[in-house]
Amino acid sequence: MAVFSARGAAPRAIDARRASLGILVAFLAPALLVYAGFTVYPVLRTFYNAFHTIKPHSVVEFVGLGNFTALLSADPVFWKAVTNTALFTLVATTVDVVGGLALALCLFARAPLAPVLRVVWFTPVLMSYVVAGILWVWIFDYDWGLANATLRFIGLGAWEQSWLGQPSTALWSVLGAHEWKWLGFNMIVFLAALHALPSEVLGAAELDNCGWLAKLVHIIVPMLRTTIVNLTVLSFIGKMMVFDLIWVMTGGGPLWSTETVSTYVYKRAFEWNTFDLGYPSAIAVLWFAIILAFVVLITRLLRPRDRLEF
Amino acid sequence: MGATARPGFERVRRIPLVLFAALYTVLAGGPLLWVASMSLRTTAEIFKDPYGFPWPAHWEKFADAWFKSNYHAYFWNSAVVVVSAVALVTVVGAMAAHCLARYGFRGSRLVRFLILSGLILPPQLVILALFQILLDIGLYNTLTGLVVVYVATHIAITVYILEGFFAQIPQDLFDAARMDGYSDFEIFWRVTVPIGAPAIFTAVTLNFIVLWNEFLFAVVLLTDDDKRTLPLGIMHFTGSHQLDVGMAATGLMIAIVPIVVLYALFSETMIKGMTAGAVR
Repeated sequence: MAVFSARGAAPRAIDARRASLGILVAFLAPALLVYAGFTVYPVLRTFYNAFHTIKPHSVVEFVGLGNFTALLSADPVFWKAVTNTALFTLVATTVDVVGGLALALCLFARAPLAPVLRVVWFTPVLMSYVVAGILWVWIFDYDWGLANATLRFIGLGAWEQSWLGQPSTALWSVLGAHEWKWLGFNMIVFLAALHALPSEVLGAAELDNCGWLAKLVHIIVPMLRTTIVNLTVLSFIGKMMVFDLIWVMTGGGPLWSTETVSTYVYKRAFEWNTFDLGYPSAIAVLWFAIILAFVVLITRLLRPRDRLEF
Repeated sequence: MGATARPGFERVRRIPLVLFAALYTVLAGGPLLWVASMSLRTTAEIFKDPYGFPWPAHWEKFADAWFKSNYHAYFWNSAVVVVSAVALVTVVGAMAAHCLARYGFRGSRLVRFLILSGLILPPQLVILALFQILLDIGLYNTLTGLVVVYVATHIAITVYILEGFFAQIPQDLFDAARMDGYSDFEIFWRVTVPIGAPAIFTAVTLNFIVLWNEFLFAVVLLTDDDKRTLPLGIMHFTGSHQLDVGMAATGLMIAIVPIVVLYALFSETMIKGMTAGAVR
């Protein structure tokens, strides 16, 4: 990592760590230009938008903090979206980390056919959210869906639901679909971390006649701390921005019960005929600030010394 | 190791473990088999018995979806967009990663921070402004515009994966190449790229899968039916065949099959690629 190395010993001409400005520009310019034009500039423009009302045909009006005050004080849909997203994030992140670890331990403890199961369990991760969403809309179909059919088959027909059709179950159903699609990812990451653990430590615990639950709590979880923190942060960011699956499965309905911040941003920008990009930009900016604050908080709380890595 | 169980895990009770593993396998794989079966059956057959065996198999449904609906166009659009975007982002990303990993220069930390901060950028923070920008420059509702956006938004992860690997290539190789009179560009092309090939392959795999499945940017930046990429096409097709579940399942299967075939052939590479950002 010696970025500024002087390398006094080697003659300048053959020091491979040095390059002329022209060379540096040639290597960096393509990436930086595209990145500046289509990522950095849009971010700045979104911040600008957040303080304006942006109507079609370049009609721009400065409103100061108007969008933010309207958002925070007079927008019940926004608050509903925040509540839903917070609940979704909290539960899904927990399930992601705990479930992923459980699946990984299952394979690590040498379940039969573990190498095959690992490949099968990961398959849903490769599906697009559109494919997973449509598939789960069918699974939750009232008349012929797999969910109700299974309940009837095992004699719990009384529990059958219109899973996505009623506000009380819709968010949980989407959450279930999300975990189906995503758990395999966390499983693989945990499995890689488990295999990297020094086997002597586990062996020593075995000699001490340590039960597997005690070993899990006192040895494995502490040793996997870095992985757990990384996955929590990664999971958290993903859930706070959840859009695709909800858009495909419910579109935010019924009765705002699955509305998330991201779907609301999309609706305010492109579906409601408010023709104002300023207000949804303000939502996006505020939400980004909140995500960032929580990422810093989680990282500080769980891992005081090291810096954040992905 | 050699023993039948890993040290310390003999004590996990076997029966619950096996049951759980079997249950989760059914849960993970079952839904996909169900769609596969439905894709070969007519809607009438499905409504009579949603879980029947696909016999006789109606293979002609695939030809119908492909030619009579717009599926061939969706597939082609996705292929063009994803291949172009992945090729471009790999080239510009590798060049930038090589530069950051190899050369010490004033400002390198700033450049690295600027690019890598893209890793945690929510798409929602750029999507509205990108909509405006592409409208301004006439690239809204074009595949070119989508390619540019895909390249820009995936530079961060590409540089992140490649720089980490490139930085581990021994400096001696570069010193020797310089001694032999290689130019800077030759060093990149004939040292970094061949040695960094595994990481480049990983980045390509990750970007390919992510972009093949990408939905949000595409749904905001494209409107014409004949420009839709596969995820938009599938959604449109399913929406317009809501009562024709059999046909919708066939459409879904067209999107699933290529991924599953690739996965069957390159499962390790794809697993490694997808988790490259999280596993070091």
